[in-house]
Amino acid sequence: MIETDALSFRYAQGEPHILENITMYIKKGAYVSVVGENGSGKSTLIRLFLGLLKPTSGTVVSNARRTGYVPQKKDFLNSQFPLTVAEMLNSYRALLGLKDKRVVAESLEHVQMEDFRNALVGTLSGGQAQKVFIARALIGSPDLIILDEPSTGVDMKSQKEMYSVIRKLNREKGITIVSVEHNLDAAVMNSTLIFHLAEKHGHMCNPGKYVSEFLRNDPEAQNV
Amino acid sequence: MFKYAFMQNAFVISFFIAILCPAIGIFLVVRRYSLIGDTLSHASLAGITLGFLTGQNPIIGAFVFTSFAGALIEFLRTFLRKYTDLILSIVLSLSVGIAITIMSSGKLHVNAEAYMFGSILTVTRGDLVTVIILSALSVLTLLLFYHQMLYISFDEETAKIAGVRVRLINYVFSILVASAISVSIKIVGMLVLSSMIALPVATALQLGKGFKKTLVFSILFSIVDIMLGLFLSWSLNVAPGGFTALVSVAVLVIVLAGKRVRSFVASIRSGEK
Repeated sequence: MIETDALSFRYAQGEPHILENITMYIKKGAYVSVVGENGSGKSTLIRLFLGLLKPTSGTVVSNARRTGYVPQKKDFLNSQFPLTVAEMLNSYRALLGLKDKRVVAESLEHVQMEDFRNALVGTLSGGQAQKVFIARALIGSPDLIILDEPSTGVDMKSQKEMYSVIRKLNREKGITIVSVEHNLDAAVMNSTLIFHLAEKHGHMCNPGKYVSEFLRNDPEAQNV
Repeated sequence: MFKYAFMQNAFVISFFIAILCPAIGIFLVVRRYSLIGDTLSHASLAGITLGFLTGQNPIIGAFVFTSFAGALIEFLRTFLRKYTDLILSIVLSLSVGIAITIMSSGKLHVNAEAYMFGSILTVTRGDLVTVIILSALSVLTLLLFYHQMLYISFDEETAKIAGVRVRLINYVFSILVASAISVSIKIVGMLVLSSMIALPVATALQLGKGFKKTLVFSILFSIVDIMLGLFLSWSLNVAPGGFTALVSVAVLVIVLAGKRVRSFVASIRSGEK
């Protein structure tokens, strides 16, 4: 689904690289959590996957037919923006060139947010907003969904519901999931693979190996 | 007052302005870009003086130069992404510099100052036709790119991922802003033009509705502001632009007060329960 080869990136010439020589392969149907310290380049990596940034060197290739994106809720600082959930989804449908308006209602049903269609996006709680953004990502039947720290600003109960939805999409619909995670519990519990970024480099491992090799000696991660 | 042809023209043009300014303004306000209206209205004055200087229709001159200034702002955003206010200062300085230089050169044989304060006496049948054509084109473009412009305003990254050509749409939008300003400047005047772009939208935002309803209410408030401003300024024999700005502020204050009273009454009622 996504393949990178010797991928390196820096924001400007003369600046140090954020990512260096990343070679990875994400196969169709995988659920990959990208983990690492703050500033390790997790969000930069998914922006390269999304085509929002261009590699400084190396390549990144996505074979996804359609990609859904769930941004961090904090990216929407303007809580005063006058936009209802239905308007947000309907305009997105129009951008994708989809004529059938029923896809909006169906995507809200998937995340059980039908009752919020007339609510203003800025008034939603963290958990509600993330579910609505997942609903948006589902429009157009994507085969890949990329999420950027989906649990940020979301309470524990809503996190459980949200990860249950994401897991279902992956396990039952076969949608490939790539999720930047600062929530190690969620990464270990839900993913089929973990991509660990540290000091500009990264490697793929399974969740069990990640716990035993990387978290064992980390006092902050003893409860994972 | 309607027995005068210029007054009839003024009311027709005002009606178009009342629809066009908030329809463009809502995208500027939600992007927190409302000061761009102020910068581009100064650019339109430079365009008007250039129009007069070259013997062209001043509204077309305003449209062309304001479009150029709008595109220049978009272009400079590439280099000064984090300093939008600085970009506005640069374009404002360029525009005011051109306008003042031409106006003070003594080469203009018409009164360009009327465009600073707005004047209904100078509105001609030709202006009316220009305004109707520019307004119709603007509304059509707005309808055509509505979803793209809404998404660029709300979530630019997702718009890019969905395949929206953000740069191109931003240039198109700059031309729309230029069009709205050129259409409005003769009646409203350059100095208060940005109020017509931002204030009806600011008033409608207080109602806490979705985008389409906020847009409709912005247009309704704008019609009230401009028509009332035009009518009262005629009665009081003052410049229509300045008085329309005062009416717009008054309507905003009334809506804010109404909102306050409503929440106060609601809090008392919930306390009683």
